[in-house]
Amino acid sequence: MTVHCSDDVIFLEGTCPVEDAENLLILLQANPLGPVDLSLCTRAHGAVLQVLLAASPEYCGAPPHGFVQEWIVPNLKRGVA
Amino acid sequence: MDELLEQFLIESRDLIAQAHEDMAALEHAPTDRPRIDSAFRAVHTLKGSVAVFNLMPAIQALHAAEDVLDKARSGAAGLDGERIAALVDCLDLTDRWVDAMEDHGVLPAQAVADADLLVARLSGVAQVARAGATEAADWAMALATELGNDDGEAGAVVAFRYSPDPDCFFRGDDPLAIVAAIPELSALRIEPVDPWPALADMEPFRCNIQLLGLSRAPLADVQVVFRLVADQVEISAVERNADAAEAGAVGNTVRLLRVDAARVDALADGVGELIVASNALSQVANRAERIDIGLAAQIRAVQGNFERVVGDMHRSILAVRMVSIAPTLRRLPRMVREIAAATGREVTLKMTGETTEIDKGVADELFEPLLHLVRNAVDHGIEPPADRVAAGKAEQGVINLDVSRSGDHVRIVLADDGKGIDPALIRRIAVERGVVGPDTAAGLDDRAAIRLIFAPGFSTAATVSDISGRGVGMDAVQTAIDRIGGRIEVASRRGEGTAVTLLLPLHAITTKLLIVEVGDDRFGIPLNHIVETSTIHETDIFPIGRGRACVHRDHTLPLLSLAQLLDQRAISENKLLVMGTGADSVGVMVSGLRERVDAMVRPPRGLLANIPGIAGTTLLGNGGVLIVLDLPELVA
Repeated sequence: MTVHCSDDVIFLEGTCPVEDAENLLILLQANPLGPVDLSLCTRAHGAVLQVLLAASPEYCGAPPHGFVQEWIVPNLKRGVA
Repeated sequence: MDELLEQFLIESRDLIAQAHEDMAALEHAPTDRPRIDSAFRAVHTLKGSVAVFNLMPAIQALHAAEDVLDKARSGAAGLDGERIAALVDCLDLTDRWVDAMEDHGVLPAQAVADADLLVARLSGVAQVARAGATEAADWAMALATELGNDDGEAGAVVAFRYSPDPDCFFRGDDPLAIVAAIPELSALRIEPVDPWPALADMEPFRCNIQLLGLSRAPLADVQVVFRLVADQVEISAVERNADAAEAGAVGNTVRLLRVDAARVDALADGVGELIVASNALSQVANRAERIDIGLAAQIRAVQGNFERVVGDMHRSILAVRMVSIAPTLRRLPRMVREIAAATGREVTLKMTGETTEIDKGVADELFEPLLHLVRNAVDHGIEPPADRVAAGKAEQGVINLDVSRSGDHVRIVLADDGKGIDPALIRRIAVERGVVGPDTAAGLDDRAAIRLIFAPGFSTAATVSDISGRGVGMDAVQTAIDRIGGRIEVASRRGEGTAVTLLLPLHAITTKLLIVEVGDDRFGIPLNHIVETSTIHETDIFPIGRGRACVHRDHTLPLLSLAQLLDQRAISENKLLVMGTGADSVGVMVSGLRERVDAMVRPPRGLLANIPGIAGTTLLGNGGVLIVLDLPELVA
């Protein structure tokens, strides 16, 4: 599972495919504020990103790396703000 | 000539040629950004150059051309065939004006009218393009300004606005993966298309995002990434700071130094002196050996080093003189277009190998003969379109100009697919014009007959047009090629075309010399002045009037003594150099024949310059100086 919930934290790990969008949405509908941990997420499908943008939850954990850190996180922060 | 004008002529032709080259490339790849930039810069600089001479029509025409290119640059209006054709015509017109400036110092009277027509055409194409494209450029500009601040760097960027289909997720598209593949991404903003709904109402597989961003990669590279979703994306190249971009571009071009060829020759002379000095050092070592062997060894070591470095310098100097043949060929395509238009032919000129390097001296002498050959190929080779169709050929004739290097020669082949040369016609015309007698003509095989076109007084032009009627025949070509030590070959097949091959020396500065002896002295004689050498005995020589002669190949050959020609005391001379052919031939007697050498002949200077019959001097391998004689001048 690339999306899972543990101790009320929603984890995205590795490469999150398009199907994760639905799972993530269900988890966020239950806990609209998250928090979401992206530290192990290397890639996410656009559909997954779109759920994060729409929910605009809180984030926790260490910053992720690569494309997610460089280009996705700044866009999520905008959503948070 | 006015130095400023001279500089203008060189520079403007370079720029026109550069822009032409870019246009030729853009014809095949109209979105090639570096080419568009290069053409823009060339036209922009050219406009600046013509402004120095206040050539209003040229300024206006080039300004209009610059506009078209600028729009292509900003992505507001790409280049299409029509625009490129208008730009090529603008360059051709400017080129003709540059010619006029060289010949007359002013623009021709119809320049204003020509410029007006061209400006109307160029601005016409520029305006057609403006409609519909302006808006796109505006959003890109705004995006570049807004997002560009993030990366803090100016320059050319490509802006994209990607609005994926709402159903794209179902089709398997991942907009994020596509964007992640963009090379040199410098900014990315992801925003909702419609406001986000409440999470409870959200449809996770309905795409509601728009992706905007910038990339520093070339436009084409960004377009490639979006090729599968091209209908959902807008891409536009944006110049955020034109000045900065231009400065960057200048940094990328090869830095060239324009140097007077005479200065390079002076350097070559200097290196020649160094070779002599190096050889003198070797003599010193020989003498030192008798006094101090250790010192002699040291001198020899120094001399060895010296010799090696001088050798390197010599090769570098030869390399400096090597230039690309491209600038010489640059004006030919325009000439072909003009000649074809004037003679009602349809011709394309294809050039290959135009970057081949050749000695500057050869390159400089090559344009006129090549132009003449090309003119001949269009005028006499390529048939009118109707005749071509009747002969089962394509309406458009093709002239191929191929330049290649073969050994120490450069080979230029100019081949047309026209009607070829008819040897029978050549024989008849040559006889009619008194170039050869009827018997001689009949005795020539077809190859030799075709060569008659190079004979003085022969010209196959049936009508004197402004194209061929310049009073020079193919003999002028022959003379020009002879002068640079080259050779011409012609091959022709009736109905299939003609190929003229020029074989040119790679290094024009070396001349083949025959070293001859006159008593104890040695002189160099250019081999191309000598037809034949042989031995002659006293008994074969008989007096004629005040001179002497011998029988050579069934002809009476007047004899001259080189010693006498050089005002030296009479000596026994039993070697014979035969110069010229037929009735013009002359025998020159020398006392001995030595080796043949390839040498760099320097023109005579100082005292030598005033002595008739001296072609120059050359340095021998041993450091000695050899005087090179101009035999025809001595004999005359």
